[in-house]
Amino acid sequence: MISYLLFIGTLTAIYALLSLGLVASWGQAGMVNLGLVGFFGLGAYCSTLLTLLGLPIGLAWVAGGLLSAVMGIAFCLLTRTLRGDYLAIVTLGFGEGLRLVELNERWLTGGSDGISGIPAPFKAAAGELFPWLYFAIAWGIVLLAAWGLNRVLGSPFGRALRAVRDDENVAAVAGKSVLLLKCQAFGMGAALFGLAGALYAHFTSYISPDNFVVQLTIYIFLAVTLGGYSRLVGAILGAVAVMSILESSRFAAEFVPGLNAVQIASLREFAIAVALIIIMQVRPQGIFGLKNEKARAPAQPDTAPASVVSSHVK
Amino acid sequence: MRMNRRHFLAGVAGAGTLAGTLTLGGAGRAFAQAGQPIKIGIVIPLTGATSQFGTTMSAAAKAAAKDINDAGGVNGRMVEVLIEDDQSNPEAAVRAARKLIDVDKVVSIGGSYASAVTSAIAPLCYESKTVLFTSSGADSITKTPHNGYIFRTSPTVTLQGTRVGQYALELGAKKMFFLGPQTPFAQNYIDIISGLFKDAGGTGQGLIYEDKRASYRTEVDQALRTKPDVIVLGGYVPDTSVVLKDLYRAGFTGKKIGFSFGVNPVLADGVPAEVSEGTASLVPSAAEDSPAYKTLIGKLGKPALDSYSCQVYDHVVLTALALASDPATAASGVVVHDKVRAISQDAAGTKVTDVGQALKLLADKKAINYDGPSGPLAFAANGDVEGVFFRYEEVQKGKLTLLKVA
Repeated sequence: MISYLLFIGTLTAIYALLSLGLVASWGQAGMVNLGLVGFFGLGAYCSTLLTLLGLPIGLAWVAGGLLSAVMGIAFCLLTRTLRGDYLAIVTLGFGEGLRLVELNERWLTGGSDGISGIPAPFKAAAGELFPWLYFAIAWGIVLLAAWGLNRVLGSPFGRALRAVRDDENVAAVAGKSVLLLKCQAFGMGAALFGLAGALYAHFTSYISPDNFVVQLTIYIFLAVTLGGYSRLVGAILGAVAVMSILESSRFAAEFVPGLNAVQIASLREFAIAVALIIIMQVRPQGIFGLKNEKARAPAQPDTAPASVVSSHVK
Repeated sequence: MRMNRRHFLAGVAGAGTLAGTLTLGGAGRAFAQAGQPIKIGIVIPLTGATSQFGTTMSAAAKAAAKDINDAGGVNGRMVEVLIEDDQSNPEAAVRAARKLIDVDKVVSIGGSYASAVTSAIAPLCYESKTVLFTSSGADSITKTPHNGYIFRTSPTVTLQGTRVGQYALELGAKKMFFLGPQTPFAQNYIDIISGLFKDAGGTGQGLIYEDKRASYRTEVDQALRTKPDVIVLGGYVPDTSVVLKDLYRAGFTGKKIGFSFGVNPVLADGVPAEVSEGTASLVPSAAEDSPAYKTLIGKLGKPALDSYSCQVYDHVVLTALALASDPATAASGVVVHDKVRAISQDAAGTKVTDVGQALKLLADKKAINYDGPSGPLAFAANGDVEGVFFRYEEVQKGKLTLLKVA
C-alpha cells in the first residue's frame, strides 16, 4: 500500500508541476495552452534521449525544460496575432503535431514502440528507498517551482502579466511590451511542462507517443479549474484533488453492485466529466478565487469581493 | 502575497489529508493471507480506442475464475480476478498495474493487449516479481530484461507476418500491397511480407497511414496505382472498416487478407456484407475442434470468440494451475514464474483441456499438460508462445467462415 501511495503521490507531483505551468501561462497571462501534453512529451523525449547519450540525469531534466521553453517561445512568436479561442485551437493542433512527430520519426524516437529502460536517478544506490527518494525529489521540485513562481508573479513583472491577461490594449498603452510578456509567460509554462515530462519519463522508465494524448491535458485543465485558474496554491491542490478522484474511484467502483467491468470503467470516466460540470456550476472561480489587486491605499477598506472581479475578467 | 503563502501552507496540509483518505479505501484489503482468496490482476482495455474486445475479455476472465472456484479453488483457496481498465492508454495502465501489484498483491497480471500498454507495465511486473501474461504481438516485449516473468500467449509479429505472407503466396498472388496504421509492427509487416514475395519472384510494397481517419481514399488510390493482386490489411477494426469501404468503392477485386485484430466478427457485423465479402483473416487459435474452445464459447453463450478473450481465460487458468502444482509453497508470483512450463508443456504429462479436471489431476500429484482455448500453450525460453495454430477464415455473406486450421 505504501509503495502504491508513493507512486500515486509522485505522479500527483508531476500533475501539480503541469498545473503550475498552466497557471503561469493561462491563469496569469491569459494564454490557453491546450497543447500542454505536447510540451510534456517534448521534455520527456529530450531528457530520455540525452540520458541515453550519456548526459547526467539532472542536466537532462534541465535540458528537457529548456527545449520546451524554447519551443514555447518560438510557438508564441508564430502565433502572436492569435488570442482566446483561436490560440487554444492552434495549441491543440501543435500538441497533436508533436505527438505525430514522435510517432513517425522512428530513427529518433523508436516510433510507437516507444523507449523502454529509461534510467532513474540513484535507483541502484537507493534500493528500497528509491520510491521515497523520487517522491521527495518530485515534490521538492514542485515546491521550488511554486516558490519561484510566487516570487516572480508577485513582482511588478507579474502585475504586468495580469494586465496583459485582463486587457492587452490597456497594457500596451501603459507602455508594456505585450509580445515580450506573453512570450515570457508562455515560455515559463512550457518549461514547467517539459520538466514535468522529464520527471515522468525517468520515473516510469517507459515512454511512447501513446502516453502523450489529449486525455492528460483535460485532467490538468480540470485540476487548474478546480483549484482556481489563476492561483498557484489552487494548481497544487487541484492536482491532488484530480488524482484523488481518478484513483479513489477505482476503489469506490468495487462497491457499486450489479455492473459489469465495462460499465464500471465507463462510470469512472463519467465521474470526471460530472466533476467538471459540477465545479463550473457551483464554483466557477474554483476553490481559490481570483485575487483583487489594488494599488496600496491603507485608508480605504477592501470592499470588492473576488467574485465580482472574476465575472468581468475573460 | 502574504495571503498567498498562508493559503499555500493550507494547500500542502490539504494534500496530506487527501492522500490519507486514499489510504482508507484500500487499507482493509492490503494483505493477502492464507485462507483469503488468491488475487489475479487483469489489465484490459475497457474504454478507449482498443476496447472492442473489452466486454468479452472481462467475461472470459470471470468465467475462468468461476471454473476454478467451482472445482474447489487452488490448494483450498478461492481465486479472485480483479479487472482494471487500461483506458487504451499506457499512463492509465501503469497506475492500474501499480494498484494491483502494491495494494492487492496479485500474483500475476493477465490480459494486457496493446503493445504500448504492455511495454509500459512490463517493468513494474518483472521488478516486483509479478508474472505478466500478455496477448500483445510486438517482438520487442520479450526482449526486455524480464528474467522469465513475461509469458506471451499471442504469436509474435514476425510469426503472424510470415504466415499471412505465405498464405497470400499460396493464393497465387504476385504483387502485394500492405496498408496499415502506424503501430509498433507496421514496418515489420511490410518488410517481412515483401521479403517473402521477393523471394518468390513477386513484388511487395506498403504504406503506413494515420489511424482514426474518416476516409482512406487517397491511401487506397495510391495502393491501387501499383495494381496489386493482394492487399494486406494491417489495421485494427475501426480503420480496417473504413479501408474496406474505400476499397469497395474503388472497385478493387483482388484478394484481401487481414489479421485477427482487424478482421474478426466485430468487423463482419459492422460493415455491409458486400464490402467485407471475401476478406480473409488469420486467427491464432487452438487446434481444430479444440474441446476447450468449444466449452468456453458454450459457457459465454457465443457462437464464436476472438482469440484475445480466449487468451485472457488461459492467463487466469495458467496462474491457478501453476500455483496448484506446488501446494507446499505459499502463492506468489515466483511460484507462477517457476511452474507455468511444468503444467503447460510437460511432454510426459496427461493432456488436459478442462481446468477442473486439471486441478483434480494436480491434487492427485499427477503431471499435466494443459491445452487451453487459445492454443497448446508451450513457451520458448524467452516467454514467446510456440506451436500456435492459425485458423484461416474468410468473410462470406457477412459471416466469418472457417477454411482450414494449420
